[in-house]
Amino acid sequence: MARHALRRVSLAVVQLAALAILIFLLTALLPGDAAEVAFNEQASLEQVAQLRTQLGLDRPLADRFADWAGALLSGDLGTSLIGGEPVGGIVARSLATTALLACVTAVLLVPLSLVLGLVMGLREGGRLDRALSAVMLALNSVPDFVLALVAVAVFALRLGWFPSTWLDAGAADLLTRPGLLVLPVAVLLARTVCLLARQFRAGTIAALHADYVVQARRLGVPRGRLVLRHVLPNAAVPGVQELARTGDQLLGGVLIVEAVFAIPGSATALVDAVQGRDVPVVQALTLLLAAVALAFNVAADLVSHRLAPRTEVLR
Amino acid sequence: MTGLARRPSFGTATAALLVAVPLAIAVLGPLLADAVTPPDGAPYTVGDGHPLGTDRLGRDVLGLLLRGGPSALGVACCAVALGYLAGAPLGLAAASTRHRWLDELLMRPVEILLPIPSLLVISVVGVGWRGHPEAIALAVGALNVPAVARLVRAAALDAASGPVAEAMRMQGESRARVLFGYVGRAVLPVAAADAGTRVGMAVFTVAAANFLGLGLEPTSPDWGVTIAGSREALLVQPWAVGAPAALLVMFTVGLNLLSDRLLRSRR
Repeated sequence: MARHALRRVSLAVVQLAALAILIFLLTALLPGDAAEVAFNEQASLEQVAQLRTQLGLDRPLADRFADWAGALLSGDLGTSLIGGEPVGGIVARSLATTALLACVTAVLLVPLSLVLGLVMGLREGGRLDRALSAVMLALNSVPDFVLALVAVAVFALRLGWFPSTWLDAGAADLLTRPGLLVLPVAVLLARTVCLLARQFRAGTIAALHADYVVQARRLGVPRGRLVLRHVLPNAAVPGVQELARTGDQLLGGVLIVEAVFAIPGSATALVDAVQGRDVPVVQALTLLLAAVALAFNVAADLVSHRLAPRTEVLR
Repeated sequence: MTGLARRPSFGTATAALLVAVPLAIAVLGPLLADAVTPPDGAPYTVGDGHPLGTDRLGRDVLGLLLRGGPSALGVACCAVALGYLAGAPLGLAAASTRHRWLDELLMRPVEILLPIPSLLVISVVGVGWRGHPEAIALAVGALNVPAVARLVRAAALDAASGPVAEAMRMQGESRARVLFGYVGRAVLPVAAADAGTRVGMAVFTVAAANFLGLGLEPTSPDWGVTIAGSREALLVQPWAVGAPAALLVMFTVGLNLLSDRLLRSRR
C-alpha cells in the first residue's frame, strides 16, 4: 500500500510539473503577450517595447521559464498586471471560499451517492429503481449552467427559499447565513451524484449476485448484516474508481456555480483574470486549481486501491 | 429503458430524431436566418412579431437560435474529429508495435496528460486567443487525444489478441493486412460509440466555456453565449434561455442514447 501510494503521488508530481510547463508555454507562446495586454492597445510601440524589456519578455523562453518556475517554487507567484497587487494575496483571498464549497460537496458526495446506489441496487428493476434511474439519466444530460439557472429561477426567485447570489456576502457570512451554500452545493452535487450512484448501483447488483453472497444467504446471514458486511464493501469499488475520474467535472461545476451565484472564489477570480488578460494571475490560479483536481484524483485512486488492490498505477 | 430495448427501432428513431433537430437547425439555420429574422425590438419582449421573443439587446431569439448552431455544435464536432485524428493513430501504433519501449514511449506522455481539467486549458488559451472558435476547437481536441488514444489502444489490443487475428497471422497474412483489414475494423464500432458520447461532452465543455465568457464574444449568437446573456431575465423571457438550452440537451441526450444502442447491439 505504502509503495503504491508513493508511486501514485510521484506520478501526480510529474503530472503537475508537465502541467506547469504546458501552462507557461501556452501563455508565453500565444499571441498578445503581457506587455501588449497591459496597455490595452492604446500605447505606442516604444512603450510596449519598454515594458517588454522591463518585464523581461524579450529574453529567451528557457530563461524566462527557469525564472518563473524558480519563483513559483520559492512561493513567489508574481504581481498582477491589473492593480499591481501580489498574486499570492489574490489567491489566498479567493481560495478559502472555493475550498469551503469543495469540502462541503466532497463530504456529501460519497455518502449520498452510495446510499442512493445501494437502495437502487437492492431493488433492481423495482418501481423506485426505475424512477430514480430515469431521473438520473435525465439530470445527467442537462448542462451544469442550465441546472444552476433553473435552480436560481425556481428556488431563489420564485419560491424565495434560498438567496440567489453571494453579491453582498463572503465566506465569513456563512455561519450566520448557511442558506447561501444550499443551491451552489446542490447544483455541484446533482450531476456527479448521478454518475456515481449509477456505478454504486452496478456494484451492488454485481455483489448481490456474487457466489459468496449467495452462499452467505444460504448460511442464513441476516439481511442487514449481509448488506452491510458483505455487499457494501464490494459495491463501493466501481463508484470510487469512477470518483477518481470526476475531478474534471467537479472543477467545471465549481467554475459554473461560482459564476452563476457570484461567489467570490478562485474560479471567479480566474474568469475575471482571463477576461482582463492578467497572465500571472491566470498562471497561478490554473496551476492551483489543477493541483487541487489532481489531489482529488490521487485521493480517490488511493481509496479505490485500498478497496481493490489489483488496480495498477497506470493502465 | 427496458421497454425501449424490446423495440429497438422505436428507441433508435427517437434518439435519431433528438439528434437530428438541433443538427438540422445548426446546418440549415444560417441559410434561413436572414429570411425569418424580424428587425430588432425592445429588450426582452415576448411576442410582438418575435415568435420566441427578444434577448437583452432586443435581438430576435429565433434568429439567434438559427445562427448560433454552427459554433455550438460545430466546434465540438471539430474538436472530437481532431482528437480522433491525432489519438487514433497513436493508439493503433501503440497497440500494434512489437516493441514494448515504443508502446511506453507513445502512451506514457499521453497518460500523464490525461487528468488535465478541460476548462482550465480553455482559460489559459482564452487569455491570448479570445473570440476564436478555432482556438477552443484546438484546445478541446487536444484534451481529447489522451483518452481517445487509450481507448483505441485497448480496443485494438483486445481485437489483436483474439482468435481471428491469431488465425490470420497463422495463415501468414501480412501485419498490415491484419492491422487494417481486421483490427482497425473491429475498433470502429467501439470508436463510433465513444465518439458519440465524446461529442456530447465536448458540446457541454464548449457551451460552458462560452457561458463563462472564456470563448466567443458576448454578442455572438452562439447558444451558450445566448443563455449566459439572457440569464438575468429567465423569469421574464424564458425562451431566450430555454430554447438554446433545450437544443443542447436534445442533442446530447440523443447522442448518448445512440451510442448506448450501438454498444448494446454489439454484445
